[in-house]
Amino acid sequence: MNLNRLVGLLCLLLLPLALPARNVDLATVPERRTVQLTIYNSEDLTLVRESRVVTFKKGVNPLQFSWANTLIDPTSVELKFREPQTGLEVADTTFPHDKPQTLYWNVVSPTDHETTIEISYFTSGISWAADYLAIADADEKVLRLESFVRVKNLSGEDYENAQVRLVVGTINLVEKIAELAKLPVGRLDELKREEYQELRQRAGRKAMAPPPAPMLSMAAGMVADAAEMDAPKEIIKEGLSEYFIYTIEGTETVPTGWAKRLRSFEADAVPMTVEYRYRPREYGDQLVRLYLLKNDTASKLGSTPLPDGVMQIFQTNVSGGLNYLATQALNYVPIGDKIELNLGTDRLVIFEQVKQKVYRDNLWFQIKGGNLYRKLGEDGVKLELDSQVAGWDEHTIYRQKIRNYRPKPIHVQIRRDYAGDIVFRSRLNPTLHDFQTVQFEADIAAGEKAALDYEVIARMGYNQKQNRVELQSGEAGR
Amino acid sequence: MNRTRLLYPLGILLLLGIGPLDALARIKLTTLPVREQVHIHLDHPQITLVEEERIVPLVKGVNQVDFSWANTRIDPDSLVLRILPAPGDQPLDAKVLSVSYPPNENALVWSVSASASGAARVRISYALGGLSKDFHYRAIAGRDEKTLELAQYLRVNNHANEAYDLAQFETGIGAEFEKPLGLNETKEVQLNRFPNIPVRKTYTSDPVQFGYLDRAQDKLNVPMHYVIKNAGGSLGKAALPEGKARIFQNDGKGGSAFLGEDRGKFTPPDDELELYLGLARDIVVRRTIDRSERQRIAGNLYRYDVTVKYEIENFKDTPATLNIVESVRYIRDQLNRHDRDPEWRLGDGTLRNPDPEKSDADKLLFHVDLPARPADGPAPKQTQTLRLTLNNEW
Repeated sequence: MNLNRLVGLLCLLLLPLALPARNVDLATVPERRTVQLTIYNSEDLTLVRESRVVTFKKGVNPLQFSWANTLIDPTSVELKFREPQTGLEVADTTFPHDKPQTLYWNVVSPTDHETTIEISYFTSGISWAADYLAIADADEKVLRLESFVRVKNLSGEDYENAQVRLVVGTINLVEKIAELAKLPVGRLDELKREEYQELRQRAGRKAMAPPPAPMLSMAAGMVADAAEMDAPKEIIKEGLSEYFIYTIEGTETVPTGWAKRLRSFEADAVPMTVEYRYRPREYGDQLVRLYLLKNDTASKLGSTPLPDGVMQIFQTNVSGGLNYLATQALNYVPIGDKIELNLGTDRLVIFEQVKQKVYRDNLWFQIKGGNLYRKLGEDGVKLELDSQVAGWDEHTIYRQKIRNYRPKPIHVQIRRDYAGDIVFRSRLNPTLHDFQTVQFEADIAAGEKAALDYEVIARMGYNQKQNRVELQSGEAGR
Repeated sequence: MNRTRLLYPLGILLLLGIGPLDALARIKLTTLPVREQVHIHLDHPQITLVEEERIVPLVKGVNQVDFSWANTRIDPDSLVLRILPAPGDQPLDAKVLSVSYPPNENALVWSVSASASGAARVRISYALGGLSKDFHYRAIAGRDEKTLELAQYLRVNNHANEAYDLAQFETGIGAEFEKPLGLNETKEVQLNRFPNIPVRKTYTSDPVQFGYLDRAQDKLNVPMHYVIKNAGGSLGKAALPEGKARIFQNDGKGGSAFLGEDRGKFTPPDDELELYLGLARDIVVRRTIDRSERQRIAGNLYRYDVTVKYEIENFKDTPATLNIVESVRYIRDQLNRHDRDPEWRLGDGTLRNPDPEKSDADKLLFHVDLPARPADGPAPKQTQTLRLTLNNEW
C-alpha cells in the first residue's frame, strides 16, 4: 500500500508525553488496513472510515493524526476502538496551534495489547455522478438503457482498495466541507454547536453506518479484485430511509486526479413509446419528440431510482451503427415513475398554427361612466357618445396544422394555456389539464396531414366573470 | 494484465503492462489497432457523430484499452464503446468492466474482460467538434424561366484536427458516400440533382415585408423570386435543408448568366422555396389609401370603410403575375392603433378573392395578372382596389 499524500496520517508517538514539544521525535506509522468511502452526490461530501492496527502499551499513548494538503473537515475526525475492546479510552484531543491539519489523541490503555482502531472523517473533493446511455432500436419499439456511476477523486489523497458506497439522495449541510477544511480548528469553535449537531444528523453518519458484516480486509479486497476478471462488478442497491445506497462490489482504487466509471445496471429491450408534445410551459414554443418509458419491473427496470445524471440518447440505424439523437439532463426518477427523454424538435413533423379569423360580439357599454351597463342591440336603448365599450366576447378561430413525413403514424398531444374567462369550442374532444390549460390529442398516419380547428372565445372587460377555461363541443367559427 | 492504447490524435493502444492503472505503470508494450471502417454521421442538425470500427486483440482476462484524443474536440461524455458479437467460429466474449479517466489528459482507459484470447471487433462512437457541414445549391433557370435545374451540394469542413483515410458519410439526405477527409480539408460532393423542375417567377408587393421604393411617390418595392415547390417529380421526397443558392439563367447560347444568390430556408416537402432575385424595376406599383370613412355604431364603437388603391404598370414585354400582399393590422393601425386584432370583411373592391392557402386572419394575398406592354404603345395602367370594412373598433 502506498503511503499517501496525507503525510503519515497516523503516527504512534513512542515518547510517553502527551504533547510533542520537542524537536527530536520517533514515531511508528501504522498503515491503513481497510478504507471505506461513502460518497454523497448531492453535496461535496464523503464519509471516510479507515481501520488501522495499533499496539498500545499500558498507560497514556499519544497518537498523532495529520492530513496535510487534503480537504478533511477537522471537526469531523473521530476515533473508535474496534477489536478487541479492552478498556481503551481517549483521554483528550488536542489541535496544536503550531501544526495545522494535525491533531493528537491521548489514548489511555489499561494493558499492553494490539487493537484495531477506526478513524472516520468527512472530506470533500470526492464526488460521484450517474450517467446514462440509451440506445433505441431502429423501429423505436424498445431501447437499451445502461446506467453508470462515475467516481472522481480530487481530494488530494489516493484511496487504494477502498470499499465504495454511493448515496443517492439529498442531505442538508450548513457549511461546505471544503470551506471547513481550510479553517483553523479554533475558529470552528465559533460555529454554533447545534449547527454541527444538525450537520451530523443530516449527513446520516449513523444512518449510513457500515453493515453488520465487518469491512472487507485489504486481503479480501485483493481477492475480490482477482475474482472480477470475468464480469463487470455488481453494484448492490439498497434503500435506507430517504436514501438509496449503491455499494460497489469488492474494492476500488481511484488515485487522486482520476475518475472511474462503472456500470450500475443495464436493461435490454426496455419497452418505450414515442410521443410528440406541444407544451410551451415545459418545452418552449415548439413541438418536441419524446421517448417515454417507465422505471418499473414491467419495463425491466425499477430496481433502483435513477439518480440525477446526463443521458446520451442514440438510435441504432439499419446498418448497425448509431445515430445521435440528444443529450439530456435526467432528473431523479423514483421507482415506478415515468422516464421522459426529450429529443427536441423533429424536422420530419411540421407543426403550424394559423389564426384564421377574429370577430367580436356581445358588446356591452358603460353608460356615462356610471354603474349602468347596456348591451349593444338591446331594445329601446340609445347609446350616446359618452357610452364606452366595457365588455365584449372576442372570437378567434385557429387551425392547427400538423404534417407527418415520417414513415409511421405519430401521436401528438397539445396543451395550450389561456388566461382569463375563456370558452374553448371544438370537435377535438379536449380535456382540461388544469383550470386554464386545454389538452387535446391527435393521431396522424404516416405521410398524412391533419387540420385541427378550434375557436377560443375570450370574455373581456365587463364580460369577464371567471378566470378559467370552459370546454364546449361545437364547430369552430359557428 | 494487458493494456491497449489508442494512439493520438485519435488512437487506441492496447497495453501489456503492470499495475492496476496505467498512471502507475511505466513499462508498457502497446499494440495499435488500426481503423477498419469509419462512419461520419452528419444527419443531426448540430452534432457530428463519428463511429469507427477497429479490431482489438485481447488476451484472456482483463485488458486495458486506452483511447486518447489529444488536440481534438471529442466530447468525452459522448464516447460509447460497443463490442460487436464475435463470429460463430471464434466464441470470444468480451465486456467493458470500467472506464478510467486520467487527470489532465484527453484520454480514457477501458478495462475490458475477455473470455478467451482473440480479436474483438469494436465500434467506438463519439461526438466530434470542428467537423461541420453546410448545404448549398446551384439553380439554372431555363430561358423561359418556367423550369429550373437544381443541384444540391454538401460541403464538409474538417477543422477537427483529425484525418480520416476513408470514411462513409451519412447525411440523412440522398445516398451515403465514401471519401477520404484530410486535415483542415473541405470536401464538397453533389448530393442530388433535380432536372427540369417547374419554377414560378413571382413579383410581390408587400409594404410590411418589403417596404417602399419611394415613399413620397407611394411606389412599392417589387421584389422578384423564383418559387420552387418541394413536391412532385423528383422533389418532395425529403426536406431541402437551408443553404446558399447561386442562381443562373440559361442564356440560350450554351452558357448561363449569373442572376444572384440567396440563402434558401429549410423547406419541408409540400412547402415552397423562395429564392430572391432582386427588385423588379419594370413593374411599378403605387399604393395609396384612397378612402377612409368612419361610422359610429353606438357609443364609442365605430366601423371603418377603407379602400386601398393600387396603380400598376408593367413595362416588360412579357406578361407577369403580381402578388399583392397586405396586412390588415397594418392598415388598421394607420387609422386606429391598438392591440386588439382587427375584425374585418372584404368589400366590393376589385380584389375580392384572396389566395385561401396563403391568407389568414391578418395577411391577404391576391394574384393579379399583368399583360405585357404592347409593342407599339405605352404600358397600360391597371388599377386595383381593396375594400375593407373594419368592424367593432374603439
